[in-house]
Amino acid sequence: MPVVDVDPDELRELTGHEEKGDDELKDDLFGIGLEYEGTSEDGEFQLEFAPDRLDRLSVEGVARSLRYQYGDASGVYVPDTNDAEWTIEVADSVPDERPCVTGAIVRGVDLSGGALESLIQLQEKLHATMGRERTKGAIGIHDLTMVKGGSLDPDTTDAEASNSITYRGIDPDGDTFVALDDDAERTPADVLTEHPTGQTYADLLDDYERYPAIYDDLGLFSFPPVINGRRTEVTENSRNLLVELTGTDQWTIDRMCNIICYALDARGGTIEDVTVSYPDTDVPKPDLETDEKVVTHERIESTLGIDLTEEEVLDLLGRAGLGAESEVWGEQGIDYVVEIPPYRTDVLHPVDIVDDVGRAYGFNDLVPRYPDVSTVGGRTDRSRLERAVRETLVGLGHQDLLNFHLTNEDENYDRMRLDPGSDVVGGGEPATIAEPYSEDYTIVRTWALPSLMALLENNTHRAYPQDVAEVGFAAERDDSNTGVAERRTVAGAVVRHDASYEDAKARLQVLARDFDVELATPETSHPTFIDGRVASVAIDGEDVGVIGEVHPEVLVEHDLEVPVAAFELRLDALAE
Amino acid sequence: MELPQRELAVLEAASADEPTPVAELASATGEKPETVTGAAFDLEERGLVTVSEDTVADVELTEEGERYHRMGLPEIRLYETALGAGADEESVSMGEVLGAADLDGPEVDIALSNYARKGYGEIESGDLSANPDADPDTDEEAAALDAVADGEPIDEDVREALERRDLLVVHERTIRSVTLTDDGVDALMAGISATEAVGQLTPEMLASGEWADVAFADYNVEADAETPSSGKEHVLRATAERVTDVLVGMGFEEMEGPHADSEFWINDALFMPQDHPARTHWDQFALSEPSAVDELPDDLLERVESAHREGVGDDGDGYHSPWTEEMARGVDLRGHTTSLSMRYLSGEAVGDLEPPQRYFSVEKVYRNDTLDATHLLEFFQIEGWVMAEDLSVRDLMGTFTEFYSQFGIENVRFKPHYNPYTEPSFELFGTHPRTGEVIEIGNSGLFRPEVLEPLGVECDVMAWGLALERLLMLTHGFEDIRDVHGTLADIDFLRNTEVVY
Repeated sequence: MPVVDVDPDELRELTGHEEKGDDELKDDLFGIGLEYEGTSEDGEFQLEFAPDRLDRLSVEGVARSLRYQYGDASGVYVPDTNDAEWTIEVADSVPDERPCVTGAIVRGVDLSGGALESLIQLQEKLHATMGRERTKGAIGIHDLTMVKGGSLDPDTTDAEASNSITYRGIDPDGDTFVALDDDAERTPADVLTEHPTGQTYADLLDDYERYPAIYDDLGLFSFPPVINGRRTEVTENSRNLLVELTGTDQWTIDRMCNIICYALDARGGTIEDVTVSYPDTDVPKPDLETDEKVVTHERIESTLGIDLTEEEVLDLLGRAGLGAESEVWGEQGIDYVVEIPPYRTDVLHPVDIVDDVGRAYGFNDLVPRYPDVSTVGGRTDRSRLERAVRETLVGLGHQDLLNFHLTNEDENYDRMRLDPGSDVVGGGEPATIAEPYSEDYTIVRTWALPSLMALLENNTHRAYPQDVAEVGFAAERDDSNTGVAERRTVAGAVVRHDASYEDAKARLQVLARDFDVELATPETSHPTFIDGRVASVAIDGEDVGVIGEVHPEVLVEHDLEVPVAAFELRLDALAE
Repeated sequence: MELPQRELAVLEAASADEPTPVAELASATGEKPETVTGAAFDLEERGLVTVSEDTVADVELTEEGERYHRMGLPEIRLYETALGAGADEESVSMGEVLGAADLDGPEVDIALSNYARKGYGEIESGDLSANPDADPDTDEEAAALDAVADGEPIDEDVREALERRDLLVVHERTIRSVTLTDDGVDALMAGISATEAVGQLTPEMLASGEWADVAFADYNVEADAETPSSGKEHVLRATAERVTDVLVGMGFEEMEGPHADSEFWINDALFMPQDHPARTHWDQFALSEPSAVDELPDDLLERVESAHREGVGDDGDGYHSPWTEEMARGVDLRGHTTSLSMRYLSGEAVGDLEPPQRYFSVEKVYRNDTLDATHLLEFFQIEGWVMAEDLSVRDLMGTFTEFYSQFGIENVRFKPHYNPYTEPSFELFGTHPRTGEVIEIGNSGLFRPEVLEPLGVECDVMAWGLALERLLMLTHGFEDIRDVHGTLADIDFLRNTEVVY
């Protein structure tokens, strides 16, 4: 989950609550869902939060939420915007993979004293969350004074029409620019191989024939989604900003743009529209339209489990930063028509508004009650059988084990003298992990005995006997719908200086007696066991497992200096 | 006073003036040394003797030491040969002397390195001189070799020097000796008779009736016995059983279902957008073999896709994310057992369910992670849900407060949280029963309409999940999760953990 660094002093300043102590602030933050994780070296709170309220990825957004929570602000706030002076022209050459663009101009912003740092953090966190590591949406912020507007129409001298920049696609080596933190002219393709940031994001453009690029009158100044040009770099002294976003989904980049605009508005900036100009239409951006949903009074009361008056609900909605009007119908019916601000990305359904009301009310102020609902509990047949078999084995002196289901081919087959795809217990083909982190855990075990052997291998320094058993899970591939046949398996081993086939057989006989099944052990061969000392486990005539003395080669492979007599069979063979 | 015969014999053979070694007592009483030791300890328990322990070092010549004992130390042989060659007058060539001394192989180095050290002479640029005043007869090391061969004691420093030269080995052993206490002396003076004490009660004694005429030797009933090899239910399994007991007692029925399942049941049915960061290969265990299921329930698939794209209800919105059936068919090892909840709620598992219902499972889930003290690649998830008309957040809080109180976790706090599949959602925090620390103990919420409507559920469902290992570490204070779960477990740890009930 995202962690945001927030300066508590800045938070007090932006909320206007200088009197709040650190502990009080932490409690208030917990109440709106931000968990205090610790304090950074610079004395900033590290706040962890779930990725729904992306508008809180900056100190400005957190302060806004607290002001609502404190009742210092209420209802929906939408910043005024000035008319567009700038145009983003969308060229036909824009790569098909990245068709969407949006943006805004912000003037008169004060980025000194931590505000720039906060803006950069917000941009990074938005990239990591909504932007899906810049694939779905990427943000570029530029110092507007360093951008020179070009003209759409070379014949015009009209000042307004001449403020235009272009989003286009170019050949990977089609132009050069100086990227941020660089001092040489490079082509976009060279940036991807030579510049550290370029290297990090090079994968994003793997399938692109043409690379996205933004031009002003002086040339290429932004290479989304990778890096901006050095010319338009934003500093603490920048007052006027150009915000541009490109991506694969228009709604997503519009909302990301809104979150940036609200944060800059909180820093004293004035938002100014830009015109995004397609060949056939012009669209004003940013899109600060509010959304509307209807929620019933009854739903709020039933979900929160409390009675509320209409005035209380309206107050709570306002404190959640939502606009609301009530509509009364019939005897007691009340609907609330709720206006949702354009920085919210998480309100998909009226239940999300009910949640906001609950947060404004304070969920921890609700009194728990045990639901008046009567049901009958119980276990599955399988889990009762599993428990009974486990208890029987423990009664026979076996230490009960709980091993990992994940293993690797070496443990599961090779070290047991077994070949994958052989027609013996454990010899089935394994379900295989696509991209494992660790080469120790690459498949699901096809049988449990290798896990027992691995445990014994790790405990050769401990006292013997080490009789062990596991009632557990194993799986192998088959032709079913999921392609995996899963089963519960019962594995046991007698591990002591004089362990023999007879010891294992004796234990199987007890299991057969206790679960009232007929046991036979016809001779068989299995590479894990010594020839002539291995048998199939046949329960009521069906072949369900294997029993034998483990082959010395397997013992030596596992560093064991005592014999092991073992068995493994399907759990369901013992079922009624 | 009466004592068993063997104890009486030892007591009589022992002295109050000086400690008598067990070996001496054994030959005096005609008993085996281990019998005497046992009797001595029993007498000590009675306060009649004290048993003291001395460590003695038995010194023995090594093969090399034995050879030098016979032939003389190499440096002395060198010195004597050097004298013979007149090296006490004038330096002679080293090669010549070595040949004449019949030294070769490693003995050459040994002879040369000890020669100068012991002052037998000097070696300079290949020439060797002999010190006329040196006297091999006073060589302490040579004398010590002879002494050891004769079983006589030697000086500590010389012993260490010879040990370093690998000419001696030292075996340490413990010698126990017995001394009478004042009480022992008094008891002997007062007179002691031997009892006909019986050690083991045998079937023969019972059958013959002999038991009636014998006295049973007193055991040291306070002494520890050898711990038998025994089996025990695994501590984590026992915790799972305990959780199961609590939930069954609260009216929950158990669920079961596939570990390898389609992404559809694991993620799509849960309204997880397909481009959600947790749905990358890096967080979940996608399988390469098999890689896709053959079939998904058509109608349900359509409804779930529609919820993702359009949302549900009059003014619901969907996600602005791509959605493909191909992704829904992908096979994963489940990252949570909420996939089971989806199968049960949809009617797929046990047919359509009418409210009210309570269901749970305590089953394995899988996460692609790096194994360390607090993270496992597979762990047990406790999953539970309640289906009823008009459930509220307060019902949810009441249910979980009750559950946690069964494990001594009180003061449960609810932090508003976000899950794609529940709203409202809460992370649960509790106070550690021992440390008093506030820690996360679960995740919960009411399933969203976008989850329930496609499944055909028309009432409310509240759900929660928690890692079983976390609960165990909380209630038992274990620090390394790998001790508790998996093939890296220490069998002694499992044998020695307190049982869970």
